[in-house]
Amino acid sequence: MTTTKKEQTKIRERSKKADEKQKNILEMLKSHGAKIYDDLDNGKFPKFSIPSRSVSNIVYDKKLRQYILGSNNALRSSRNSAQLRSFTQLMWLAFFANRLTHEKKSSTLRDVYYSSQAFAIEFEDQSESDNIIVDLEAVTSKPREDFHIFPEERSSIFGDLNIEYTIPGYEGKTMNLSNHPDGYSIGPSLTTAELVDTSAEIVIAIEKGGLFTRFVEEQIDKKFKSIIINTGGQAPRSTRTLLKRLHEEMGLPVIVLTDGDVYGEHIAMVIKSGSANAAHLRELTVPDAKWVGVWATDIEKYKLPTIPMTESDIKRCYDLQKDPRYQDGIWKKELDVFLRLKRKAELEAFSKYGLTNITDKYLPQKLELAKSL
Amino acid sequence: MSSIKEKFNQISPSEFFYSNRDLAGFSNPTRSLYTAVREFVENALDACDQKGILPDVHLTIKAVEPEKSDPKPYILTVKDNGPGIDAEHIPLAFGTVLYGSKFGLKQARGMFGLGATMAILYGQITTNKPVVVKSSSDGAIQNQFEILLDIQKNKPVIVKHTTKEVSKKGLSVSICLEGDYSKAGNKIRDYVYETSLITPYASITFDDPKGQKFSHPRFVKEIPPPPTIIRPHPHGIDVERIRRMIVESQFEIPTIDDAMIEKVRKDLGLSKKSLSFTAIMDKAKKKWKTLSRQVRVVIALMSFLKMDFEKLNKIKIEDLDIDNKKLFYWDFGDSQSKSVEMDPESQYYKQLTNTVQGEPLTTFLTKRFQRIGPTTAIKFAEFAKFKPEKRMGTLTNQELVQLSDSLQKFDDFMAPDSSCLAPLGEEPLEKGIKKFFNPDFTAVVQRPPSAYSGFPFIIEMGIAYGGDIKSGGPHVYRYANRIPLLYDEGSDVVLKVVNDTDWGRYKVKGEPPFIIVSHICSTRIPYKTAGKENVADRQEIERELRLGLQFLSRKLAAYMSKRGQADMAKKRANLYAKYLPQIAEFCTELAGKKKEPNYKKLLEENAIESKKIEEEKEIDNN
Repeated sequence: MTTTKKEQTKIRERSKKADEKQKNILEMLKSHGAKIYDDLDNGKFPKFSIPSRSVSNIVYDKKLRQYILGSNNALRSSRNSAQLRSFTQLMWLAFFANRLTHEKKSSTLRDVYYSSQAFAIEFEDQSESDNIIVDLEAVTSKPREDFHIFPEERSSIFGDLNIEYTIPGYEGKTMNLSNHPDGYSIGPSLTTAELVDTSAEIVIAIEKGGLFTRFVEEQIDKKFKSIIINTGGQAPRSTRTLLKRLHEEMGLPVIVLTDGDVYGEHIAMVIKSGSANAAHLRELTVPDAKWVGVWATDIEKYKLPTIPMTESDIKRCYDLQKDPRYQDGIWKKELDVFLRLKRKAELEAFSKYGLTNITDKYLPQKLELAKSL
Repeated sequence: MSSIKEKFNQISPSEFFYSNRDLAGFSNPTRSLYTAVREFVENALDACDQKGILPDVHLTIKAVEPEKSDPKPYILTVKDNGPGIDAEHIPLAFGTVLYGSKFGLKQARGMFGLGATMAILYGQITTNKPVVVKSSSDGAIQNQFEILLDIQKNKPVIVKHTTKEVSKKGLSVSICLEGDYSKAGNKIRDYVYETSLITPYASITFDDPKGQKFSHPRFVKEIPPPPTIIRPHPHGIDVERIRRMIVESQFEIPTIDDAMIEKVRKDLGLSKKSLSFTAIMDKAKKKWKTLSRQVRVVIALMSFLKMDFEKLNKIKIEDLDIDNKKLFYWDFGDSQSKSVEMDPESQYYKQLTNTVQGEPLTTFLTKRFQRIGPTTAIKFAEFAKFKPEKRMGTLTNQELVQLSDSLQKFDDFMAPDSSCLAPLGEEPLEKGIKKFFNPDFTAVVQRPPSAYSGFPFIIEMGIAYGGDIKSGGPHVYRYANRIPLLYDEGSDVVLKVVNDTDWGRYKVKGEPPFIIVSHICSTRIPYKTAGKENVADRQEIERELRLGLQFLSRKLAAYMSKRGQADMAKKRANLYAKYLPQIAEFCTELAGKKKEPNYKKLLEENAIESKKIEEEKEIDNN
């Protein structure tokens, strides 16, 4: 009885928290709308400032350990006929986000693009509407997920984690994420769900769907008391948000396993410290996340089969050498080795030594190593 | 020298033109009708221009038998309010084909009526009808002539001559010629229309064979200043021209006409009296010192001819053959060429030989060319390796060529005098363009005088955009010495310059509604063909055209960008009208309000602003 009561209290607290968040978002949107309404009513051209997302205004914050936007602001004014169209688009998006949030409905980037047509709002293509969505994030400093706008799902999660839904119709309903061997896709309902409890002691983020399936088959979740997440290449923001929550709310360390190339290294870096593209947002990084492989040095150490790096691979290496985050530690060291080798290896390269070689041999060594990183 | 003169007279100019009429634009009934119209209208306008009269020109073309199919005979009549021609000159002016004896230079549409005579000749060849000339030079009596041409002799045959009382000066010329109006009509109407654009001070009417009337009243009340007659520039001269000038300078006596005889009589104090040959000679001896050179030459001639005034009146001097000491003349009485011996011992012989041997080189240069002073003349003689006092009449053929070459090569002559040019002027040109095309934008320019090969020229240009102008431009209206050029535009220098222009650079795109008017004024337009329809691409002319067009194009570009701004302002206004209501709609729900904000004020404000830009554009335009 007491546990039930406790849980009920918890549930109430959680739903209160979710309501609170929704209320804040709606309030903020309303205040933006009211300002523009008043301007129009007073015969003034409405305008607002928006943090500049130009390259020159993206700076690395050492304390936050991520890229942030500098202090430059751009003025978006409806008086300027060149900005009128994007101004209107943004107004519509705020209006649409307001409805989504208000009615607790979810949408995707693509869905937003198509919905615009119903309101006679023109977008040239989806990338234009995606860009306006980033504008809304920049103006409000809130990720689009807060406005119930999600990317098309592609990453997934598996492991002993109990969650409780907060989306309408599922409130209070719980789920254990090890019930379905294909894993659960990380969509709006999962992103907004409350994380209840877990027996896991670590989160393993892995770059590839194939390896994710192998890990589930090999019961890595049980063997190493872990939650396995397939990032599907560069981790989507909802996945990064989830990783951050697992780390902060559940106190789980996060390790990242990628292909042995410069792109893999950067996938790990984005999980750790975010991307320049999302410099306008915080709360998307897991600064304590650890990249455990495949390192360039592993290629030599484990004698992995390799393929030569392409021109663009090499160029990417040089580009990243200029990035402030790659100036020390393993980040710098591995990048240098990649450049020296000019060769790369896939995660699947371990198959050369047996299909389970990666889970039997490599992973345990890396997990052990991670403790000391 | 004498041999040259003989060559001139061997073939009658009428005969020459008769066999070469294609050259003058009389190749077929269509072209001939058009050319005839041009020649008479241009003569009428030239005549008025020269006397500073605002021209009223009436052109009528009537089919002799309207129901017949083309080509068929037409009666072409051109009537003007010009000075008319004195009765005694009419048969000569309309009944002979003159060859160029005028060395004075000035800008005129035609060369001394040559084309008009060609038209008369063509009419006579095709219909065997005489030209009908009605002229009043005093505004009281009108002389009416019907004249045929004796082609072989190049002499007029007067068919009929009557007079009547009138109240106005003016000339009317009427010819009957074979033509094809159904084919030439378009060009003739275009010609009349375009002529009225470049002659805004003229009223031109046209009654066509189908009974249609085209009227182009004058819309400029002031006639541009007439050109002055000037002497030729040494760079603009060739061997043939020098020959003729020498002939003129040494042999100034062939026209012993009524007026000349009258003058001699008067100078001798014999106006009323009729004296015998010897009595006249005695009188002349006594008065010799007071006589002018011209009169002296006539007396000298009379001394060898042994004729009194009455006899002198019936002959025409043909040649003075110094080598053989013979004087040739044409006797009108029995219509044959005769000659008399000249006695070299006679005191009059030297008078004639001096005349024939002509002036010294320096005198020839300073007297017969423009802008050559004695110093330059002597400098030139040195340059050309001639003695300054060299008599022009004694030049050999080789020396003539040497002189001609040196005249071309000598660089120290002054630039050609442009006072002989009569451009229309920027203001009348602009007025004309505005009236004809009612455009949104007009710009005109008159370039400073320039010269090619010793001939001065001035370029005038205009450009207009929008308004009543049809799209698909630039449409080019070409003029030369106030004549519209309608044929053969493909090979014309103006077209070349226009086509070379990258209009995109001047913000003119697509198939724009715009026109270009170009007017080349010169004492000699370098036509490519004798038909006077396209101008050759002389480098100097091309350059001036280019500069003129560039100047205008820049103005057009400025206008176009302003026009673009106005269009932009309109577009902007439309943008606000489209987007502001949407912004209002969305922010109303976002702000949780029921009623939409009053954004109408903003739209109105915006409309006012774009209207302001539109008005600024208007003001600039005016």
